Amino acid sequence: MLVALWFVATSAGWVDARTLASPAAVWDAAQRLLETGQLQDNLLVSLQRAMTGLAIGVTVGVVLALVSGLTRVGEFLLDANLQMLRSMPILALVPLAIVWFGIGEEVKILLVSLAVMFPIYLNTHAAVRGVDSRFVDLASTVGLGRIALVRRVILPGALPGFFTGLRFSVAIAWLVLVVSEQINASSGIGYLMTQARNIGQTDVIMVGLVVYALLGLISDTLVRLLERKALTWQSTLQSR
Amino acid sequence: MAVHPAVPLNDAPVTDRPAGPVAVRASGLSRAFDGRGILHDIDLEIRQGEFVVLLGRSGSGKSTLLRILARLDAEFDGELRVPDRPSVAFQDSRLLPWNRVIDNVTLGLTDKDAKRRAAELLAEVGLADRARAWPKTLSGGEAQRAALARALIREPELLLMDEPFGALDALTRIRMHRLLRTLCERYRPGVLLVTHDVDEAVLLADRILVLTDGRVSLDLTVDLPAAGRRHTQEFTDLRTRLLTELGVEDDDQ
Ligand SMILES: Nc1ncnc2c1ncn2[C@@H]1O[C@H](COP(=O)(O)OP(=O)(O)OP(=O)(O)O)[C@@H](O)[C@H]1O
Ligand SMILES: [Mg+2]
Repeated sequence: MLVALWFVATSAGWVDARTLASPAAVWDAAQRLLETGQLQDNLLVSLQRAMTGLAIGVTVGVVLALVSGLTRVGEFLLDANLQMLRSMPILALVPLAIVWFGIGEEVKILLVSLAVMFPIYLNTHAAVRGVDSRFVDLASTVGLGRIALVRRVILPGALPGFFTGLRFSVAIAWLVLVVSEQINASSGIGYLMTQARNIGQTDVIMVGLVVYALLGLISDTLVRLLERKALTWQSTLQSR
Repeated sequence: MAVHPAVPLNDAPVTDRPAGPVAVRASGLSRAFDGRGILHDIDLEIRQGEFVVLLGRSGSGKSTLLRILARLDAEFDGELRVPDRPSVAFQDSRLLPWNRVIDNVTLGLTDKDAKRRAAELLAEVGLADRARAWPKTLSGGEAQRAALARALIREPELLLMDEPFGALDALTRIRMHRLLRTLCERYRPGVLLVTHDVDEAVLLADRILVLTDGRVSLDLTVDLPAAGRRHTQEFTDLRTRLLTELGVEDDDQ
């Protein structure tokens, strides 16, 4: 729909090409960028940053969720703090992060990790807490020890919640990455767009947008596939 | 728990089956929630091989007692000796949805032989071809049979069941009763089955306890043949007596 509207609007001349490039122009721009290798190079950089940030954020989020979900001390020390911080908009940290850490690679990864960590933490923590206590009773009647309880009951029971968090996380990872690349970077898709903006190339900006949209779509699909695979025991119910 | 030497029971001579070693001995068991007394001074002894049914109205404290015997609740007063690991079958089958049926049966077992024995037991309860199924795809009766296999694979000295057939339809329930009797005859655990179904109690029990307001108000030995009980006069008499004890008039005579 949106694409069709875009096509009609630009080709009928309703919109000035400098305001909004036509699909054909965007296609040309994309090919130009591919030929010079700019698109691939910057895409690779962005992808690397996103993946690294995601990996770190997910790991930290899961570990924190387990510590605070499973131990009383952890709950006391961590949960209230993290619940308080969750309403803070991570994007507002970008300028501060630049002042503190400069424009190195670490800042962008740090921001992505931080942004990713919250949905992972919140959802996994809630899921760990929400594991049916009847299953915990069962585990004790069959003599599962503490570690076996976590491995056989709590982790699998919390997996659906974790995946909910992961899907939020992946979306947020791209968002935070774009913004921080636009503000402070010398490479990456966000940088490509900022540069294009400075010289008024709306077609290149549009290429960037399309690439982001595709990345978001692809990564969400991947997570869904992973989720389906990991939660086969659950999908039997949905597919009926 | 070490196996106890057989101690003669004070009353209740056990019927057609020889009494095994004591599986449960509780004396003066009491439990209160927030100062509200639920169980009062309960004495109870169950031997291995003995099938005891616990009847009682809703809220009389049956599940509370069962949870104590299952070692799921340690905040009681009184003395209690139960095996280290009684097997429990709950009203919901309580199969872990993320484990296949056979892995549910072997849950908590570490010996190499467990898988083979689980397969055997599943065959015994008629689930041989469902061993690799996900629990969510089982029918209610199938799930309860899997739960029964999980309870029995441990060869428990004591089997505790809290309304295990409550959610099943009448037909399935009859088949489950037969299955349960057969299995208990073979594995001979001490059994405590909680129910509020009087027919179920009279059909299955060697002994029937009635719990009224947290006290054992009736302790009856059932002296009926194991099979074909339903058609005896004693069955009807016992049924009427139990209904009266539970405060229900038996109106379909
Ligand atoms: N954890 C608890 N905290 C407070 N009260 C409780 C708790 N568990 C049980 N009770 C109370 O103890 C009483 C007995 O409960 P219990 O579950 O043992 O009844 P029951 O005989 O199993 O009834 P039903 O046949 O309906 O299952 C009830 O009044 C219940 O509200
Ligand atoms: Mg109950």
